[in-house]
Amino acid sequence: MLQYWTAILTEASIFAVLALGIDMIWGWAGDFDLSAYAYFALGVYMTIVLTVGKPKSPVEYVLGWHLPYLLAVAIAVVVVVFFASLIGAVALRSLREVYFSITTLGAVWAIYYLVENYTPLFNGYNGVSGLFDPMGGGLSYEAYHYFFLAFCALVLFLVYLVVQRLSKSPFGRMVRAVRDDEKAASVYGRNVFWTKYRTYLFGAGLAGLAGGLFAAYIGAFNPLDWKPTEIFVLYAAILVGGRGNPKGVVLGSFIVYIGFVEMTRYIPSPATRPELGSALRQILIGVLIIAMLRFRPSGIIPERLGTDGSEPRRSWRHFFTRPIETDPSPGPSYEPDDVDVVDDPVQGATT
Amino acid sequence: MTSTAFLEITEVTKTFGGVVAVNGCSMRIREGTVVGLIGPNGAGKSSVIDLVSGFERPDSGSVRFDGVEVVGKRPDVISRMGLIRTFQTPREWRDLSVIDNVRVGKSDLGRETLWRSLTSARRLRRLEQDDDEEIGALMVKYRLDEIRNHRASGLSGGQKRLLEFARIAAAKPRLTILDEPMGGVNPVLGERIGQAIRDLRTAGSTVVVVEHNLPFIEQTCDEVVVMDLGSVIAQGRFDELRDNKRVVDAYLGNDDE
Repeated sequence: MLQYWTAILTEASIFAVLALGIDMIWGWAGDFDLSAYAYFALGVYMTIVLTVGKPKSPVEYVLGWHLPYLLAVAIAVVVVVFFASLIGAVALRSLREVYFSITTLGAVWAIYYLVENYTPLFNGYNGVSGLFDPMGGGLSYEAYHYFFLAFCALVLFLVYLVVQRLSKSPFGRMVRAVRDDEKAASVYGRNVFWTKYRTYLFGAGLAGLAGGLFAAYIGAFNPLDWKPTEIFVLYAAILVGGRGNPKGVVLGSFIVYIGFVEMTRYIPSPATRPELGSALRQILIGVLIIAMLRFRPSGIIPERLGTDGSEPRRSWRHFFTRPIETDPSPGPSYEPDDVDVVDDPVQGATT
Repeated sequence: MTSTAFLEITEVTKTFGGVVAVNGCSMRIREGTVVGLIGPNGAGKSSVIDLVSGFERPDSGSVRFDGVEVVGKRPDVISRMGLIRTFQTPREWRDLSVIDNVRVGKSDLGRETLWRSLTSARRLRRLEQDDDEEIGALMVKYRLDEIRNHRASGLSGGQKRLLEFARIAAAKPRLTILDEPMGGVNPVLGERIGQAIRDLRTAGSTVVVVEHNLPFIEQTCDEVVVMDLGSVIAQGRFDELRDNKRVVDAYLGNDDE
């Protein structure tokens, strides 16, 4: 049981890193990207082919450089960012919203079928394997898994610190300004494409990093292990936790991953319907997304309003007392009551 | 200031799918003046703003801002040369707080690099704090102080107008182009907006105001440019143009929209 929980927590930590990356692209920059799972998968593949030795026939894959694990992860992240820079350059240049999403969806399926069918790349649908306990160094089987959980948790913590720092910085504020109104942002001198592009590459890099961790966790990877549509589980996690808030995204990842993906495994499936459990899981995730959008669209820990720290701190109890946001629209655009002037500070300021 | 034009628009033409929106339009705007740009609906005023600020590219003609050709430049590049414009509806950053809207208006772009945000967070925070006094004064001046930490999308139409002016004041532009700042604004607030425009000039900005409210233009502007059917038909002081037949015709005779 303990081992089971070690495994779940490790996976949840890895997916939280991925979710933080996706949240930068969607939560901060407002681009509903569907190709992030390809960056994750590419991170996994690259890490494996960089750490294992040359392929032996009939297995084929590229590289096989036998590099140390951490170096391989670093290279994998660079490769992922490079691919993201190509896709992002096309998708972000002038496409927005649903057009952007469809372009990235096209990209992820193209990558998926390329990987599955072009065997010399990553051995086609048989996938690549052979990365076992890369940082093991004499640890016992059990001890290694505790160690790896600690390692993933540490990486998650460091990524969280970096993302949180960016989120609160002038950079994070500007990315959100671009999200809210691109025209106004360019009126104030912001290069919209470059802002979105940098955020996109950073988020893709985090997806690649999560892939590097997952590679060491899973050891082998083939196209049956991932589907581009799995990204919706991550979007569910971001929605539940709080889009745009790194703290919320980490929380949401753990809730969705442990609460839904893992707990539904306990649902008994009749022998004649072995797929019932996983089908039910998908349904529950769909219901969760709808329920969150209806009752709490900004998530458990909503995006921080204000980067200047002057906002009063709220306790966790706020979650229960906070009024539900039902109408995000600002209401009538003109209310004459707001200018009941007795003495006019604007007048007074200059005369 | 001097007689050399700060903003010089020469023979600019722009068509949208066969419709000639701007037709050989030329105007010169001197530095330090407040200029009203008026004309009936469809005269091409907003199109001219789009051409000057880089949101549209003219088919022909030239636009020089402080002696530099800006045709073909991106809006953000032109903005960094010192031009800020508004749109007919206020465009606040809706999910930022009111004060953050003004801070983004103010912010020095050099603070927004990824690298600095990661490596020198503390120094950036100190730089931000150095702005507190100035930003705070703007908050008070534009009556946004009590709602400084509210989400900008929740403001009323009038408050959004004021936020727009606070943001411009923070950005300290050299040229400000206002597209119908009085749209949907009551007379009391209108008075405050008039003052905000005069303050912009005091702070060193040349101002161009597109507006249908003629008494407001008369009060606020040093000079008026009248457009009709995509080109300038008159330019001068408001009282000089009152009796100009073409101007009167444009407003009364041809105003078929």
